[in-house]
Amino acid sequence: MGKGITRELSMVIALIAIWLYFAWREPVFLSARNLSLLSVELSVTAILALGMLVVLIPGQIDLSAGSGVGLAGAVAAVLVFWHDVPAPLALLIATLGAVLVWTAVGTLIAIEKIPAFIVTLGGLLVFRGLHWLVIRNQTVPVVEGGGSNVYSALTTYYLTKNTGFVVATLVMLALVAAALRSRARRGSFGFAVDTAELTFLKLFVVAQLVVLVVLIANGYRGVPLALLLLGAVAAVVHQITTNTPFGRYLYAIGGNEEAATVSGVPVRLTIIGAYALMGVVVALTGFMQTAYSGASTSTVGSLMELDAVAACVIGGTSLRGGRGTVVGVLFGALIMASLLNGMTLMAVAPETKYIARGLVLALAVWLDLRLSKNG
Amino acid sequence: MSGAVVLEARAIVKRFGGVTALADVSFDLRAGEVHALCGENGAGKSTLIKLLAGVHPQGSYTGDIRIEGREARFQSTRDAERAGIAIIHQELALFPGMSVGENLFLGALPCRFGLIAWDKVYAQAISVLADCGIRLDPAARLGDLGVGQQQLVEIARAVARQPRILVLDEPTAALSQHEIDTLLALIRRLRARGVACIYISHKLDEVFAIADRITVLRDGAVQGTRDVSDTNAADIIRLMVGRPIEDLYPRRVAESGATLLALRHVSVAARRHAPAVLQDISFEVAAGEVLGIGGLMGAGRTELLMHMVGHWGVRTAGEVELNGQRCDVRSPQQALQRGLALVTEDRKRYGLVLPQSVLFNLSLSSLAGMRRGPFLNKNLEAERAKSIVAELRIRVHALEQPVATLSGGNQQKVVLGKVLLTAPEVLLLDEPTRGIDVGAKLEVYELINRLTRAGKAVVLVSSELGELLGMSDRIVMLCEGRVGGTFTRAQATQEILLAAAMGRTREVA
Repeated sequence: MGKGITRELSMVIALIAIWLYFAWREPVFLSARNLSLLSVELSVTAILALGMLVVLIPGQIDLSAGSGVGLAGAVAAVLVFWHDVPAPLALLIATLGAVLVWTAVGTLIAIEKIPAFIVTLGGLLVFRGLHWLVIRNQTVPVVEGGGSNVYSALTTYYLTKNTGFVVATLVMLALVAAALRSRARRGSFGFAVDTAELTFLKLFVVAQLVVLVVLIANGYRGVPLALLLLGAVAAVVHQITTNTPFGRYLYAIGGNEEAATVSGVPVRLTIIGAYALMGVVVALTGFMQTAYSGASTSTVGSLMELDAVAACVIGGTSLRGGRGTVVGVLFGALIMASLLNGMTLMAVAPETKYIARGLVLALAVWLDLRLSKNG
Repeated sequence: MSGAVVLEARAIVKRFGGVTALADVSFDLRAGEVHALCGENGAGKSTLIKLLAGVHPQGSYTGDIRIEGREARFQSTRDAERAGIAIIHQELALFPGMSVGENLFLGALPCRFGLIAWDKVYAQAISVLADCGIRLDPAARLGDLGVGQQQLVEIARAVARQPRILVLDEPTAALSQHEIDTLLALIRRLRARGVACIYISHKLDEVFAIADRITVLRDGAVQGTRDVSDTNAADIIRLMVGRPIEDLYPRRVAESGATLLALRHVSVAARRHAPAVLQDISFEVAAGEVLGIGGLMGAGRTELLMHMVGHWGVRTAGEVELNGQRCDVRSPQQALQRGLALVTEDRKRYGLVLPQSVLFNLSLSSLAGMRRGPFLNKNLEAERAKSIVAELRIRVHALEQPVATLSGGNQQKVVLGKVLLTAPEVLLLDEPTRGIDVGAKLEVYELINRLTRAGKAVVLVSSELGELLGMSDRIVMLCEGRVGGTFTRAQATQEILLAAAMGRTREVA
């Protein structure tokens, strides 16, 4: 218990410190416009990190995610811009392709027993090469100049102000309903339950945050569609990891693969499933990141796998598997996205950015080890 | 034979938070004696050992520990080592990739000009091994040795440091009878030399064979210290459990029904094109029956069970029939779907996902049957887990408690519970009572009786001959991968079984 609280507390403190620092150096950091942009950047980082969570829990990894992001975005952009395929169809084709490829990757790892590190390291190079091949080293816009389509809308569409409030209300109602149901269920089985006051307090804080986000977003253009997508992905991944047999299998494999096998867990299928899911997430992130850049260029997606891993680790996911939660990853992603956004605002040189990202990753792992040892 | 008091613990009280692990424990150990510590799991034996080992430093408990009259103020395990105490833990702390000699002297390898002096390493290793009466090649890779021989190396390593007090915590849990004999002979030699030994074991026959005195702990308090000559097993068990146990093996023969599991001339190799490790194994188990499988370490008992559920080896000949139908399962998952379930020997490696909760572990094998649409039916899951916890009397404060915090006996019950939740027809139990206390053992035996009464078939693998004799309707002894003999309950005696395990008899029944 103590360990969890120390961890969570240190994450919150780190986040506040980062925000205060950027707000002090660049007051524009806290402007509605920048926060709105930050929320789009957060969505992209966090969605990929949530996919990474699903492969990290069973003790695997995906180093090819960043290259995959570039490739999936490129395939869709080329279909739309050079081959005049309707955007929804192009996205569908690219998504199916990604799922197929990631299923194959999962098969190599689960059936052929090649370590995930090696398979996906190979994938990192292969997919980057394919990405450049697909765009023929050019810049391929996601939409004909000045227009808009489903593809570009992923990061440029904003909900109207009223819709934003309606969505916020629905989200809060869903959270309240879920909290009450969980309390009732846990209570009926004699599990530990928060006091009514604490439950209310938690819901109250979350509700305020949701309203705050909507208010700030409405101060610029409204709630970005990207943020809504993040909410949907987070809800789905949370359900999968906590409320399905598949999710249990993920944790069991990460906790003790041999015991899981002997207990009758379909280990291979579960790992393949985790990578197939990662394929969907990589495709979605690819479309969003490419749309955010406006076009597929040779650098889209570069190093995003490391940001995703960093977000997971900062959020308390174990690289050895068996441990990690959606809420933690969202928090980790918020820290990573804030850092990147703030450094861009301060016009930090790219070389310094690389160094900072690397140090944050190492620091997160070190802190995680320290805190889990002392807990 | 025994001499002056070398170690004395007086009025020790040790608390963990609100839990009292040791309540006013006094204990003494004399030079040249073997003093056995008995008690159920959780009785406080390990805690007492940890105080002596310096794991719990002075100041974290009250009372005092004196070594040869001087107060011991251990702040760390190094202090305890320096005071001449060597502890051999149940789990091996050796390096399988290194040679026997390196393992013996690791941390203090003899060097010359900063390089390891290999000639000295081996010369010293040979003398230490000879001293212990162990015949092993000091250059052999440790990982190539059997578990029993590795255990002996561990003990030789402790002996090499010439301790005055040697503590052995369940040293024979993984040993075959032959290896146990070697170990006991070694302990007798050390005793003759004046070394004082504390010997912890669940196996009372061993305790009576080696110990001079026995101290029994229950719930952190000493129940009594007896000279071996003045007591007997029933007396010790009564002290351990606080009530008399008339019959350690409460086997009730159930009515046997149709044959559920049959092996016909089964041969298995570790992998394709490798020589068969198990050869020509045949036996049948009917509903309501317990078939015991015994044999020495390395006879292939565990491999046979692992193979039946599809987790080990390639079958090169013969067939397995389940309910009269061919059963060629390729994974434990398929085996469970067909009603064939395995409870593994090594709980921590094969049985449990230790960082997860009791609930998580209990339901792991039966999640597929607890769905509601794509989701897990958590109500059903909690209901089933609760009922199995009650049925097996698993002691937990909450279903969400991490399984790693339970005692060995309760962990074993969680593994059993997980398997029972899959409603199996045939249960393969591999050493189900290894390392658990007498009370928990009885509960496992009673569970076996309940299962056979309900028409299940049980295959019980055990290295304790008493358990095999007491709980089986028929017994198959394996010997180097072959059937060394098959016996009915009436025919079998310890001697006959042991002879069969060593390949000295032909089939009687």
